[in-house]
Amino acid sequence: MANPQSPTSDSFDRIVCQWCQGMNPKGALACQACGAPLDIRNLVSESGWREAPRIRDMTEIHFGSSTCQVEGEIVPVAEINLGQGDSIFFEHHVMLWKDEQVPLGVMQLSGGLQRAFGGMPFLITMAGGPGRIAFSRDATGELVLLPLHPGMELDVREHAFLLASHHISYSFVRVNGLVNILFGGQGMYMDRFVTGNEPGLLILHGYGNVFERRLAAGETIMVEPGAFLYKDSTVTMEVEFQRLGTGLFGGTNMALARMTGPGRIGIQSMYVHHHTE
Amino acid sequence: MFCTHCGSRIPEAANFCVSCGARVAATPVPLSDPPIDPRYITPTGAQSLDPAPTPAEPSVSAAPPAPARSNAIATCRWCGAVSDGFRESCSKCGAALDVPEDTADSGWIEVPGRKDMTKIQLGNSSCQIEGTFVPVADINLAAGDSIYFTHHVLLWKEPRVTVTTMPMAGAWKRVFAGLPLVMTQAAGPGHIAFSKDDPGELLPVPLQPGEEIDVREHLFLVATSSITYDWFPTNVWLQSQQDNETETHYPIGMFMDRFTAPQDPGLLLLHAAGNVFVRNLAPGETILIKPTALVFKDPAVEMHLHFERPGTTFFGWGNWANRYLWLRMIGPGRVAIQSVFEPVEGEARNLSSCSYATEQRW
Repeated sequence: MANPQSPTSDSFDRIVCQWCQGMNPKGALACQACGAPLDIRNLVSESGWREAPRIRDMTEIHFGSSTCQVEGEIVPVAEINLGQGDSIFFEHHVMLWKDEQVPLGVMQLSGGLQRAFGGMPFLITMAGGPGRIAFSRDATGELVLLPLHPGMELDVREHAFLLASHHISYSFVRVNGLVNILFGGQGMYMDRFVTGNEPGLLILHGYGNVFERRLAAGETIMVEPGAFLYKDSTVTMEVEFQRLGTGLFGGTNMALARMTGPGRIGIQSMYVHHHTE
Repeated sequence: MFCTHCGSRIPEAANFCVSCGARVAATPVPLSDPPIDPRYITPTGAQSLDPAPTPAEPSVSAAPPAPARSNAIATCRWCGAVSDGFRESCSKCGAALDVPEDTADSGWIEVPGRKDMTKIQLGNSSCQIEGTFVPVADINLAAGDSIYFTHHVLLWKEPRVTVTTMPMAGAWKRVFAGLPLVMTQAAGPGHIAFSKDDPGELLPVPLQPGEEIDVREHLFLVATSSITYDWFPTNVWLQSQQDNETETHYPIGMFMDRFTAPQDPGLLLLHAAGNVFVRNLAPGETILIKPTALVFKDPAVEMHLHFERPGTTFFGWGNWANRYLWLRMIGPGRVAIQSVFEPVEGEARNLSSCSYATEQRW
């Protein structure tokens, strides 16, 4: 449990954002670090899932010397105004538009490792400031803005990340176990984002609505594998089968991922189908 | 339990959250409505602001009455359930009660907006609906209560909720192209949540004892086990011919699902794509709808195919593609449609025969 502290304001007249714990000046309507509205209450279900904050159209947030404006509501766009010296990195097929002079480069992945998808090399592209560049993904959903504090480690479903600031180091972890790979609904790799001494900004795109919950140490929850979006690296994930016998036809299997705390876990409500038979 | 303000886990008896300090109401007012207090409703259904002098339950009397709501009884326009006038949402179907009715000039009623995190009471269990694009039905099953659901809709569950296959005996006889239709059953106590991977509306349909409803196939998500399930052939089909091949198409599926609440009230959750509109047809009143837009209808509503040919001077009668295919609905009863629909297979091809149909030539 966190230490008791005032939720809304302390003696220094600051507002603590409940989504990212960022500090905001008194009177702010949206968090400067993650864009979450500060003047409306959180939406927490009785079972403990918290809805990702619905970012107001045109909210602007700050990271490094850059800003990011979130535009639109059904398929939101993240428009980045990169400051001098700042850069961001992202995957293929997420750029919507850019200023002509913003340079693009390819990130050197550690050890020259390149994971390949269906014969295509996996590339991470970098864009440097100054200039504007905008991103979106091809489906109804939410942008999840996750400011990462120094020393954080986050595991993200493959192809779910939209962009990250250069303060964050990127790697990927192999999903362990054949069962997890085949039925985990997310392939062989998970993206891992780690912050060193500096904070950074990570933006994900979740299909449908996004919910987060914090698991206590040892607490477990069973999740549809295709719904998994992100987790703290302290949370373990193990795919299990639920055998459903029909008595006549030999039955069918249902794969569910057992997530065990401690840490945060994020899910999306529109999930990727996978075959169980 | 969890703090409804910051989401931290807190002891069951806590009055304040140890993490953020927010007050934790015994019944958080906007998120969980207490069950309807029968003292507010007189047997005649007349308005009565003052409860009868019965021993007050502490949780109810502690709840602050909402200000400036004059009527003590609100009737839900969506499901007809009567609630006390203090709540913002219908406790039976979750529809917002404090918004003006959205009725188009043509008579279609838009399914009332639902507030995020609305809670629906199902006996001892409850269902909370979360999210807006792809809503999640988060069901808190009480011990002894159970629900059943279709394939590929389970989003998450607590490990203690047991999931089994519904026994094949009884109503479960439907087989699709050699594949068994597997219905899965979940028993309480515990939380279990469902969603479908399409943007649209989660449609709570409360069924009163004796009530029945016909639903187009594959729209069903979850039902309480007080609701029985049956199916019937739609008898709506058309055969297209190309060269020597004849193909049969079913614009609304071969079968239609029928859900009935024989003794106890129950809740049915459907998922429809896009927005949902409903209208009540008078006896004999008709409306033409796109077949694949049908969501549900009352059993009294009859339906059959209807062809419409626009008048033209250039093409003769021989052009088969120059016509529209409708589903003609005949009242009395409700008809619900969705705004996202698929094309009808075989619609533009030469038809060799079809089920009973009417025709309009202009």
